[in-house]
Amino acid sequence: MNEAKKFSIKHKNKNWLKFLIGAIVFLFLFFVLNIFVSPIRNGFYTISSPIQKIFWSAGESSSLFLSSLSSGGSLAKENENLKIENQKLLSQLAFLQSIEQSNQAQSDVSVSCQNSGFKLVMAGVIGLDSEDILSINKGSADGIAEGMPVINQQNVLFGKISKVYKNFSKVMLISNKNSVINVKTQHVPESASATSSEIDGVVKGEGGLNAYLDLVPISDNIDLQDVLVTSAIEKSFPKDLLVGKIIQKNKNDQKPFQQAEISLFFNVKSSDNLFVIANFKR
Amino acid sequence: MTWQKALVVIFLFYFLALLQGSFFAQFSLFGAVPSLVFILFFLSVFFGKKDNYLIIFLAFIAGIFLDLFSPYTYLGVSIALLLLVGFLLKKTQAMLKNRGDNNPFIYFAPLFLVYLVFYEIFLKVVLRYLDPSRSLIVFDSLFAIGIVYNLILATIGFWIFKKYGKGI
Repeated sequence: MNEAKKFSIKHKNKNWLKFLIGAIVFLFLFFVLNIFVSPIRNGFYTISSPIQKIFWSAGESSSLFLSSLSSGGSLAKENENLKIENQKLLSQLAFLQSIEQSNQAQSDVSVSCQNSGFKLVMAGVIGLDSEDILSINKGSADGIAEGMPVINQQNVLFGKISKVYKNFSKVMLISNKNSVINVKTQHVPESASATSSEIDGVVKGEGGLNAYLDLVPISDNIDLQDVLVTSAIEKSFPKDLLVGKIIQKNKNDQKPFQQAEISLFFNVKSSDNLFVIANFKR
Repeated sequence: MTWQKALVVIFLFYFLALLQGSFFAQFSLFGAVPSLVFILFFLSVFFGKKDNYLIIFLAFIAGIFLDLFSPYTYLGVSIALLLLVGFLLKKTQAMLKNRGDNNPFIYFAPLFLVYLVFYEIFLKVVLRYLDPSRSLIVFDSLFAIGIVYNLILATIGFWIFKKYGKGI
């Protein structure tokens, strides 16, 4: 009996010793891995980037193929073209409204600075994860730094650089749960004689490539289809970048602010290349 | 496990990690992306022998790929959580009543749900602890959709393992 008890205690001690050694080895490994995290990740992404790019393109065409099957032939493609065209027009509209509202000469100077003064770095999209963070194939070696805004060719805002490695970077999309940006609504007047109004608010990410408009004073009147662009008070992004449009209003008179569901303009699934604004400074 | 088998396992996890972050990201369901690496890890432990070294090996390979392709900065968080999931899963399986079929679907589905939720919650909590600026919203519609999406894919994986996975 005593022998059995002794054996059991010995066995238990052995298990504890194994666990302790395992925990120490793991902690050591955790420590070492996190000292060299940047070179490990960079090396890994450099090797994987070409394969990821192929998978990304394959996924894009498969997804387009499936959506075209479900929406009937060329409708999806046509819709995509119309969306791009619409974004271009909205971009022009934002540009024109900006000119109209401020002093013509001053606005001309600032807009021309904004349009021509930016140094853009083109980057290919290689992946997207569940937290709304994109991977792009350009890094510090290409002049990318944390905080730089990321847009597409239609001036649609995607997000900002959240982490930079030597040859690749992570982009936190504006739909990420940690993203909050200042925006203004641009009400599209129905007639040419009507004046357009601007209302300030913030766009907060809610994950799953979605975001919502918040902190709009209850007294302000927002309308469906109103376009949201980055505001001049936004510190992380240049002004007048396209963000999204209002698709549903949530107004409760008992609350000081109103919210609205928005449809973001960016389409990650059809974006092969993006542009990083490399010289934006506030 | 022979070194040839180990190499195949490493390649398979790597391949799924790549697919998860690029190809399957285009097939998100209301924004939820499948966690193929977790599914393969769970299936491998569920159908595998009760071998501590096998669980450590699988957790290390699956965890390192999950961490490398993840948006968070730290490496090793997923390894630790998968080790926990692996050992707890084997303990739970040992406690469950033995049937003619040792790995029935009636055990698989609830265990998968419980351990996926456990993994997701602890991952968010640990990451929040390491980086306090992160949001700690765990239960939302996206979370629920993600769980259901992963369960559907895991069920497909279960039947594939059941049919072809003998001796893995």
